[in-house]
Amino acid sequence: MTDLLTWASDPARRRPLLRLLVAAQVLYVLGVAGAGYATTALGQHIVLATTPVDPRDLLYGDFVRLRYIISEAPLSQWHDAAPPKRRQGVFVLLATGPDSLSTTVGIYPKAPAAAPGQAVLRAWVTDVFRHSLALRFNLERYYVPEGSGLRLEKAGRRHPLRVHVSIAPWGQARIARVVDVGAVAGRK
Amino acid sequence: MSRKFLETESPAWVAEGLISEEQRQKLLARYPPEAQALGLLPLLGSVLVGLSALSVVAANWQGLPAVLRLALLLGSLLGAYGAGAYFRRRGNVDLSHGLIGLGLIVFGASIILVSQLYQLVGYDVSGLLAWVVAGVALSYVYGSRLLVLLTVVIGAAVQTYCVEVLGSFSYATAVLVAAGLGYYWWRRPEVVSSTVLATGLLWQAGLLVIVLHAKITWFFVPAMAIYAAGDWQQSRNGARALQGPPLVAAYLFMFGLATFGETDTYANVLRPPLLPYLLSLGAVFAISVAGKRARGRFDTLLDWLLLLPGFYLPGGLPLAVATLVVLYAHAGSVLARAHRQQDSDQLTLGAVLFVVATAVAYFKLTWAFLDKSLFFLLGGVLLLGLSWYLRRRNAQTLAAAPAPTAPAAGEAPDSTVAPETPPRHD
Repeated sequence: MTDLLTWASDPARRRPLLRLLVAAQVLYVLGVAGAGYATTALGQHIVLATTPVDPRDLLYGDFVRLRYIISEAPLSQWHDAAPPKRRQGVFVLLATGPDSLSTTVGIYPKAPAAAPGQAVLRAWVTDVFRHSLALRFNLERYYVPEGSGLRLEKAGRRHPLRVHVSIAPWGQARIARVVDVGAVAGRK
Repeated sequence: MSRKFLETESPAWVAEGLISEEQRQKLLARYPPEAQALGLLPLLGSVLVGLSALSVVAANWQGLPAVLRLALLLGSLLGAYGAGAYFRRRGNVDLSHGLIGLGLIVFGASIILVSQLYQLVGYDVSGLLAWVVAGVALSYVYGSRLLVLLTVVIGAAVQTYCVEVLGSFSYATAVLVAAGLGYYWWRRPEVVSSTVLATGLLWQAGLLVIVLHAKITWFFVPAMAIYAAGDWQQSRNGARALQGPPLVAAYLFMFGLATFGETDTYANVLRPPLLPYLLSLGAVFAISVAGKRARGRFDTLLDWLLLLPGFYLPGGLPLAVATLVVLYAHAGSVLARAHRQQDSDQLTLGAVLFVVATAVAYFKLTWAFLDKSLFFLLGGVLLLGLSWYLRRRNAQTLAAAPAPTAPAAGEAPDSTVAPETPPRHD
């Protein structure tokens, strides 16, 4: 029996193996794109409010930096015996309020069961303070079409934006769109 | 031989009667002037065209429709792999491996850009893990040093991303690189890929220590495990190439300890619990010794001197003296081995290590007591004396080497005619 390396590097096998590998890679990239559509189609929709950000901090090249109200939570919402650690991955249980905005109900080290009207969003602890902790959702970057970033930046400086997020049943999340509520209200 | 060298030197050879004029012409005909510059032009041209296409796409990327962006990425992926396979069939191996490597890079870029296109959040590294899998598989299929190198770099980059952004260590990535490319190294221990692989794995080991918030000295357990794997490798060159990076890391650590280890402030950073640390390092040591025994390489056993856990000593003078003794002993062991094997590269390395140890010793032990000018004077004299001594030893060793390796300088011991050099009495 020949070893794996000799088997794989046999010139007779090179062409079929390369075809297989390239096909797998193409399918994989298509799969990533499919996961994007599926998250919107099948996912649970929540709306999050941002807080105004330091304008110098907001626009980075082709994406806008967002900061959410739920990015900071009091330590009383932490549900575990062990205190949270920096860099730790956590699960944030969100409930939709009367204004359709989602707010934090609790923060758990393991995924909690969500009741109807609730959603679970994954996050990381970035800082632990004495009475609160700071969270990161990896939703802090919104890639915007060319040129439109500046409008959002100016909007974000004056009033909070509303970010529509889809959470797939398998836990993946994506920003569906960002709405400038203040601008809509102002135009009316 | 370069054509230019031949052109300038050969008239003198004819004049001295070494070769005839016809032979000179024949030699010149054998090395025709190469039209290298002309061959480069189409390549440069295509690079420029490629760059312009890339910049057009990059400038309009955000404005393009999603489907077009996806098509562009997949098109370049297929194009790169297709061209790679085509040139491999044509026998242009280097170009083919370069294009396959480009395809691999485009694959990673596609994963990242498509996730960005759909604003997808990555919660674990599984998306990028596919990149490492593709790299390992392509390395196996093409057996190319370039692809191995690229895969090691991709593995290190994915792990860095995982630790920095996701806050966790991807054991899958580490195992994939260590096992996948480790097996490759085991079968094909080429020097460059071995060193690159060891460096990449050390990088991941360092990230693991950071994630676990462990004492940094734990780093040396995985690092020396890589070293120990080298001891079992049949090819001696491949083994030493893999062992280079862990040894450099251990040496730098010991050097740092000798230079800055005086104060006791580092104790919290360096001292893991004594028993578990020594047991793990001891286990790795046992594996390494068994390997050296099996392959008959006990001459490298003294490499382990650098791993003596001197940081458990109280700071101050005991530690300074102990680390210096270790540095000297290690330099001595390298020199002794080089003398035995008559290896001039190792001799140079040993001499450098010896000089470094001396410099540290001198700096540590005399700086406080000496006037500055005297410090530099004595230091200079010490280094000069040392270099003279080592050069002498060097020359003697090489002269004593068996006939084929000895330079024909009339210095062999049994040489009867030694016109200029007086006979040595060692």
